[in-house]
Amino acid sequence: MQFKLALSVLAFAFAMPAFAQAPAAPAAAPPPAWKQGMENTAQPATLHPFAPIMTGTEAKDIQLSKLKVAPGFKVEVWADGVLTARSMAISDKGTVFVGNRIGKNVIAITEKDGKRTVKTILKGLDTPNGIVFSQGTLYVAERTKITRFDNIDANLDNPGAGKLVVDGLDPTNGPGHNWKYLAMGPDGKLYFNIGSPENITMPLYNQAVILRVDPATGQLERVATGVRNSVGMDFHPVTKKLWFTEHARDWMGEDIPHDELNVLNKEGENFGFPFCHQGDLPDPIYGKYDTCKNSTPPALKLGAHVAPLGMKFYTGSMFPAEYKNNILMARHGSWNKTEKRGYDVMRVVLDADGKVAKYEPFVTGFLTDDKADPPMWGRPVDILQMPDGAILFSDDYNGVIYRVSYSK
Amino acid sequence: MFHVSRMNQVAAGLLAAAAFLVSPSTVSAADIEAGKSISQTCVACHGPGGNSITPGVPSISGNAAQAISMQLYNYREGNRKNPQMSPMAENLTNREMNDLAAYFASEKVSAPTHKASAESIKLGPVLAQQYNCTQCHGPALKGIQHIPRLAGQQYDYLLTQMQGFKARTRYDMDGNMTSAFSAVKESDLTILADYIAGLEYK
Repeated sequence: MQFKLALSVLAFAFAMPAFAQAPAAPAAAPPPAWKQGMENTAQPATLHPFAPIMTGTEAKDIQLSKLKVAPGFKVEVWADGVLTARSMAISDKGTVFVGNRIGKNVIAITEKDGKRTVKTILKGLDTPNGIVFSQGTLYVAERTKITRFDNIDANLDNPGAGKLVVDGLDPTNGPGHNWKYLAMGPDGKLYFNIGSPENITMPLYNQAVILRVDPATGQLERVATGVRNSVGMDFHPVTKKLWFTEHARDWMGEDIPHDELNVLNKEGENFGFPFCHQGDLPDPIYGKYDTCKNSTPPALKLGAHVAPLGMKFYTGSMFPAEYKNNILMARHGSWNKTEKRGYDVMRVVLDADGKVAKYEPFVTGFLTDDKADPPMWGRPVDILQMPDGAILFSDDYNGVIYRVSYSK
Repeated sequence: MFHVSRMNQVAAGLLAAAAFLVSPSTVSAADIEAGKSISQTCVACHGPGGNSITPGVPSISGNAAQAISMQLYNYREGNRKNPQMSPMAENLTNREMNDLAAYFASEKVSAPTHKASAESIKLGPVLAQQYNCTQCHGPALKGIQHIPRLAGQQYDYLLTQMQGFKARTRYDMDGNMTSAFSAVKESDLTILADYIAGLEYK
């Protein structure tokens, strides 16, 4: 044990010369949440997270010709100036709502006489990443609470403060994965994540979970545990099962662990975090406390550090028939990896048994040089299907929403 | 470790090469010109070309455009508040912020006027690594993308920002700086500021 420890300390010192000079005294406080767990790897110490261009990129400066799609598909800029655009929802009147992680507001995009207007309808929110529309109501999930705005389309100019659905959703009020994704279940309940507070840690009872709340009663339930952070989920149009993306931990290696696409087969199912990653990889710290046999493996290993976010089942009729009930998935792209991956929209095809049959690119071209810093010029976040069967996807890096359409 | 300085040189070289390669292709000479044409008010305080000679007023040059536009955004949106800056940013459009950022990012950086003490020059580099400054701001503390340039920045400005992060009063988009400064000893702040303010941007 002592020998092993000495070896790993040695490896650490050689791999990270920047830290070799540091005095031997232990740090007085924990490292930043995103950096925590770094001692488990020999990855370069200069890897750093990316941030959006807060002031956005204008449509005229978006290089659409760099984007690649299959023949017949077309990508265009649908809206710009939607700063740090993340999750999207559409009302039955066609209003597109956009939330974000660091912008504190919710945007509504309306269309009249062929002209689109981008308008801020809610301000001063705390991490309003989760939004969903259902039966006239816009639900917004912030860091600590979910609020409902009834009859939103009639009140775009003055939506008011809304009504509280549930509060107390940030157990520690500390740093970490406290932004939420929000989805409306076929049962009329709201599904959302509470992520792990750190890169790798033992979560509290209501951390690293997917919860649901009944908007009528405020009743909370845990539907999935051991989910490090899921920022994309949808229900299969036929089986009605919950499918969700999950970000795996950082600082374990360039190519491990895989991020995950998961499916919930029974309520309360455990997906492994922090003990087991990608269904078969014990964690270097917590792996000794539980075996991978006790958790559900992913339906699909997505690749390490690709950062899957929004995912939606395609149910429209504009795309070719073979796209019906496929998953379209936005991958935000990696930072914790020397050779960068992701920054694209992927297509996942399921077979008749609901097993993954194919995993292939749908929109690529944002990643221009996997060794550069930054390696990309755009970062897909969420997918939204439009009434005509086209899809929109958001890009928080540029504050832009794109439309993907198909014609023969 | 004997190979440290060579490794750091390599890292700095790679970073410089990367910065050159990825200079945003969407920034045009026209954007830079447009930014320059509305920059008179900025340079009144931030100095010619965004090289400040006023204690407490930060230099803008030497930052990537993304870092400059992000801070203008933060003042406009009220995330950061300052009696001088808040009104300046209040009515700027996204395009004006992007143009100003393109202009100041294109300006040359002046040599630092600050002279660090011998003690700070000795201790500073060790602390900058121990406290993870170099992890994001880079081995030469030049910043990258949204992460600001530190090398050669005004001493007073560096110190007040660090004190703000330490006291959790300075706006912090993602919690990284607040988290990083929770580990920093109060007495090390002046050493860091002294060392970094005197550090040549290269």
